[in-house]
Amino acid sequence: MRRLQPSGAGPLAWCGILLATTVALYVFQHLLWLVLPFLFGLITYYVLHPPMQRLMFAGFSQEASANITAGVFSLLLSVALVFMLPRFAAHAVSAQETGTRYLQGGLALLDQTLRAMEGQSRFMREAHVADAVSSHIAAAGEGFAQERLPALAMALAAWMPSVLLAPFLAYFFLRDARRFQRFLARAVPNAYFERTLHLLYEVDRTTRAYFLGLMKLTALDAVCLAIGLWVIGLSSPLLLGLITAVLAWVPYVGSILGCVLVVMVAATDFPGTPWIAYAAVALFVAVRLLDDFVFMPLTIGRSLKMHPLITVLMIFVGGAVAGVAGLLLVLPVLGIVMVIGETVSIVASDPRLHARHAHARRLRWTSVTRDLD
Amino acid sequence: MRLFGRNAAQDALHPLRQIRLFSSLSWRELKVVQALRHERQYLADEVVFDQGDEGQAIYAITEGEVDILRTDGGQVLRLARLGAGDVFGELALLDQAPRAAQARAHSDCRLVVFFRADFMGLLETHPKIASKIALALARHLGGRLRQANAGARQEGHL
Repeated sequence: MRRLQPSGAGPLAWCGILLATTVALYVFQHLLWLVLPFLFGLITYYVLHPPMQRLMFAGFSQEASANITAGVFSLLLSVALVFMLPRFAAHAVSAQETGTRYLQGGLALLDQTLRAMEGQSRFMREAHVADAVSSHIAAAGEGFAQERLPALAMALAAWMPSVLLAPFLAYFFLRDARRFQRFLARAVPNAYFERTLHLLYEVDRTTRAYFLGLMKLTALDAVCLAIGLWVIGLSSPLLLGLITAVLAWVPYVGSILGCVLVVMVAATDFPGTPWIAYAAVALFVAVRLLDDFVFMPLTIGRSLKMHPLITVLMIFVGGAVAGVAGLLLVLPVLGIVMVIGETVSIVASDPRLHARHAHARRLRWTSVTRDLD
Repeated sequence: MRLFGRNAAQDALHPLRQIRLFSSLSWRELKVVQALRHERQYLADEVVFDQGDEGQAIYAITEGEVDILRTDGGQVLRLARLGAGDVFGELALLDQAPRAAQARAHSDCRLVVFFRADFMGLLETHPKIASKIALALARHLGGRLRQANAGARQEGHL
């Protein structure tokens, strides 16, 4: 008997995938205290998994490899914290003052640019664009500082303890991921067992490829930006490159924020030479293009295997439904839901699997009622 | 802890030891393989997998018997009846081609299942174990080939 292999997910299944992704993002937005440490734990797990595999390759058991890897990682993290905390504490005292200085530097550059444009355009001069924009930004900045900033600071302070859970979660992922996979597979009826194993493998492969791709992309972005900023002559190019590369995890908004940050630093450090700020903008555009056309297809692009139109559409939907958290989470969530949705739709549309499951249930019923007739 | 004879951990590995594919592995190596296994129970007449299914796993019998059946032109032919220690579905390890035959439990049975991707992972993390299993698998497939040739000779095809 030759069975027809079921084809991929149809339009109805795809609607379900997009809807499920949207609902998941909406729910995750309200569970950020849990989702963020889980996400960071997952990233740490995927980063630590290759060294753990090397230990297993050297002959250690999975548990011993997980213990050694997590132990060394914790040690390195503790040493880094011991060295970084005093520096961070010293800078934190003057953080507000530094932030205000850079903000004023950025605003001065904007004002200078707009006034230069007013000098060139009669329409802009008559509309007093520079004055209008400056007063708007000043009002918005004041409102943000008074209304949003305390709430944002409180939310960040509330998340910090839960983010500390990430290393613990990563340790348990390293140690028990396979056990958890077996536990899940045990709950599945025999008829669907092989497909479920395949599904679990695909979910793991997709998330691993996405997060490892994201780490590689971040490293590439950070190095390119750092080299560019060093050539331009900005201070702390590596730190700035790293911060802006991490900000780029949030599609679109993150890149713009990163660009604004670097322009503010450039405008403050070199107030009389606006070309440095313009060069920073040009650098950002160049790295963005490199990112979209070279780095992204080499790293993340290959992991999700989805149509660019759906990706862009879902990024907008994620932002609309769950704000910045939605933008950050939309791609990995869509990747996972896509794999689950496609497999479930294939399994659900396979009548032979249902028939085999029904047959197995009848056999079980006959077996347990044999002496009751 | 016992210094002589088998301890409890080795007793737990005993069903795996009986499987021919793993008979050349040491107790330590068996422990690595044990971490990859899934255990399933099937009732007599229950289908394990169908002819034409996409093969993702290899099965080994620890208890009971399994029939390997092939449907050709509406007729169901029994190719083999396998017992404890035998493996089937092994071609799934080599490629992802559709299953060549149906596997159906002849009696209530207990099977150990290894997922293809886990086995591929073993090749990277524990190449020594993987090479021992690959050698056993090659011997097993060689035996099958010899059986098939002998069958073809008897039918006058060779």
